[in-house]
Amino acid sequence: MDNDNSMTLMVNGQHYNIECNKKMPLLWVLRDILELNGTKYSCGIGACGACTVHLDGQPVRSCSINVDSILDKEITTIEGLSKNAELDVVQQAWLKEDVPQCGYCQSGQIMSAAWLLKTNKDPSDKDIDEAMSGNLCRCGTYLRIRKAIENAASSMQ
Amino acid sequence: MKRRDFFKTTSLAGGGLLISTFIPLSCNVPAEQSVSWEPNFFLRIDTNNKITFICSRTELGQGTSTGLAMIVADELLIDLENLSIEFADGALEKYGDFQDTGGSNGIRLLWNPLREAMAVTREIFIMAAAQIWDMEPKDCYSEQGLVYDKSNDRKATYASLIYLAKTLPAPFEVKLRNASEYKYIGKPVIGKRIKTIVQGKYPYGIDVKLPNLVYAAIERCPVWEGKLVSFNDKKAREFPGVIDVMEVPSTEIQTSDFKGGVRPGVAILANNTWVALEAKKLLNVNWDLGPFAEKSDSDVEKELKEQLKKPKTIHSDFNNASELLKASNKKIVATYVSSYQANACMEPLNATAYHRGNIIEIWAGSQGPAMFRERIHELTGLPEAAIISHNLPSGGGFGRRFHSDYVEEAVLISQKIRLPVKVTWSREDTITTSKYHPFCVDSWEASFDKNNKIMAIGYQGTVSNTNGYRPYPYSLPMVHFNRLTENSGRLLPRSSWRSVFAHPWILSLECFIDELAATQKMDALSFRFELLKEAKVIEQLMEVWVGDNLYPKKLLRTLESVQKKSNWGNSGDGIFQGVACASYNTSYCSLVFDISLVDDMIKIHKATAVVDCGLIINPSKVKAQIEGSIIWGLTAALKSGITVKKGRVVQSNFHDYNLLRIDETPTIQVCLLESSDAPSGAGEVAVPVVAPALLNAIYAATGKRIRKLPVQNHAF
Repeated sequence: MDNDNSMTLMVNGQHYNIECNKKMPLLWVLRDILELNGTKYSCGIGACGACTVHLDGQPVRSCSINVDSILDKEITTIEGLSKNAELDVVQQAWLKEDVPQCGYCQSGQIMSAAWLLKTNKDPSDKDIDEAMSGNLCRCGTYLRIRKAIENAASSMQ
Repeated sequence: MKRRDFFKTTSLAGGGLLISTFIPLSCNVPAEQSVSWEPNFFLRIDTNNKITFICSRTELGQGTSTGLAMIVADELLIDLENLSIEFADGALEKYGDFQDTGGSNGIRLLWNPLREAMAVTREIFIMAAAQIWDMEPKDCYSEQGLVYDKSNDRKATYASLIYLAKTLPAPFEVKLRNASEYKYIGKPVIGKRIKTIVQGKYPYGIDVKLPNLVYAAIERCPVWEGKLVSFNDKKAREFPGVIDVMEVPSTEIQTSDFKGGVRPGVAILANNTWVALEAKKLLNVNWDLGPFAEKSDSDVEKELKEQLKKPKTIHSDFNNASELLKASNKKIVATYVSSYQANACMEPLNATAYHRGNIIEIWAGSQGPAMFRERIHELTGLPEAAIISHNLPSGGGFGRRFHSDYVEEAVLISQKIRLPVKVTWSREDTITTSKYHPFCVDSWEASFDKNNKIMAIGYQGTVSNTNGYRPYPYSLPMVHFNRLTENSGRLLPRSSWRSVFAHPWILSLECFIDELAATQKMDALSFRFELLKEAKVIEQLMEVWVGDNLYPKKLLRTLESVQKKSNWGNSGDGIFQGVACASYNTSYCSLVFDISLVDDMIKIHKATAVVDCGLIINPSKVKAQIEGSIIWGLTAALKSGITVKKGRVVQSNFHDYNLLRIDETPTIQVCLLESSDAPSGAGEVAVPVVAPALLNAIYAATGKRIRKLPVQNHAF
């Protein structure tokens, strides 16, 4: 690869020097190059939410963002969600409510929920619907996702 | 060896056979103290007191690995916290039919052998301690991974007893623990895997990394039974990161359609997944689209319905139904149609294989690690002993990962390059060129006497026979006629799909029962009560997989309970209810939907489910399975389904093969009935009742009988 493909990424507070096609979606950079496998591939078109990460704190579908468009941004993945404790408050709520079944979509679910709770300390049912309806779950864990968000919200108050 | 024969042998011998395989016959030489001990194929104990449950079943999200670990902990008398879980490689010779995971049998079939294996191990440790302490085993007991001397405070860890334990013979008889002594079974347990999942660290097949790994994506023939003519890969090869492009030969679908069925294709080999998926789009492939190039699902519907007009033959006849059907000209007929469905597991199909010439290693999330190993032996000619089939957790399976084609592809490519290859299916691949729940046409008829009393009912449709997985529980005489099949083979290859043929069977049966209730001017629930109260126990043990007969009284108990829980008949103004009930193997479920009409659109408010699945191991996981099954069933009833035009699947991704979302999910109340019967499985029983309960509620609300799935537009 020529030097034009060298880039520096900021993921979970750490700088990574990478070399790859500049049009490579962030998802595949995370998974195949940085080996941060917690972010999942499922649809590739931003229609399921399994690949959700935070870009400067905002939830985005990492399958649909070219890596060279976000070099100046701070990326947070599921691996970097918990800043201090072993588990973030959302992850703790997910554990307490026994949310995951197969678990494959849950990184994306948790990243969407974490953003919701950061911006809305007391989300209504409708707020939860709006924030979470872009995240699909084939196992059908939606009822427990809702409960876990409510649980996390009350533990944050 | 036929899989079924193996099952028969092991089930007769129980855990004892599995145990004795590992007990050395000569006990003269104590083994090295540093070596761990595998007293049976499910357990390894290390000298540092690490105890590992080797889970033969696949973890697909149903929680089987946690449930089985609870059983191990309760019978071996150890702390669940201290029990590690590993997944066993595919091994028919070790696990027989206790490995490949389907039919909601994960826990049910292991319930006895696993407990026996653990009880034997526990007793051997007691015997070992007694021998060291020079006392009788009856004067010792075990608790939390330790053996105690009853008379004083002497104790020994299991691990410290290994060196002697492994020389001792298994006792002839062991006593299993009583239900009242269980510490874990029956209580909600959140397994260790959940903590790993919420941290994004659970290892799925798609996460496999190996030195020198080659990433592959395959362009497959878009029409089933088509062939590869030629391809131009010039542009694809120019894409940076592409290593090679090669043909993937098709494999013939086998009589057991779990094996074979690799479509002809062209594989891109690349240095990462994205390059492979992108370069695939640059291929120019010339296909011979074969016999189905002009065929659509509407043609399948037409030809199946045409067959309904032909003379019927009887497959099975219950209570002289065929004669009773003929005895009257007063009849009604109702024909139900349900669409193709894709499994659409959130983790797209993928498999990694490394064919080293004399050894093949496979890493895949699969429901059939043992069957796949057998299949790769058939495909390559290498002995099964040279094939290592690692079983990783799956991001959903729902039946699709019981079909080996995606693993065969990885082996076929690796065979050519002798490097480890990971084949990843794009989402589009999983929707357009996969295997599918079949298109079904299912027709019921009933005859009435001159007083309008129902004499008998008859079924003809795409379900081949009545059995434990597509049961008939009622006292009303019923005849099952010859099956409807597609002319010149299936338009799309078949996949198992959560609840399999129970979905069309129960859809049509439970909607038709509702139609019959209306002819008798009876309440839908009371009508079912009548038909179940008189029903006799139904033999269904003819299939080895089926664990028990069908007890209509058990189904009745779930119906009576759902009547109360759903507040049947008193649900309030503007709320309409529909009910359906079914058994599935040896589990039973009744379901009621509460719906309303808002601007002529249906709104689902609530689902109330009552389930009898025998002894409940882990109530949190059982409830999760019922909740998930109802959401699964609603997707099939209300969303797009798979349609086919000119041989090609029309849908391609989640934008047009949509799944139910959080904002569309109704309140779900699950009630699990107490039972001391053996655990009987919870992953599928609640799926087939969903569509009929919903359609029956729609009838209650609108007076319209919907007989085709999915329900289009939801407007009435």
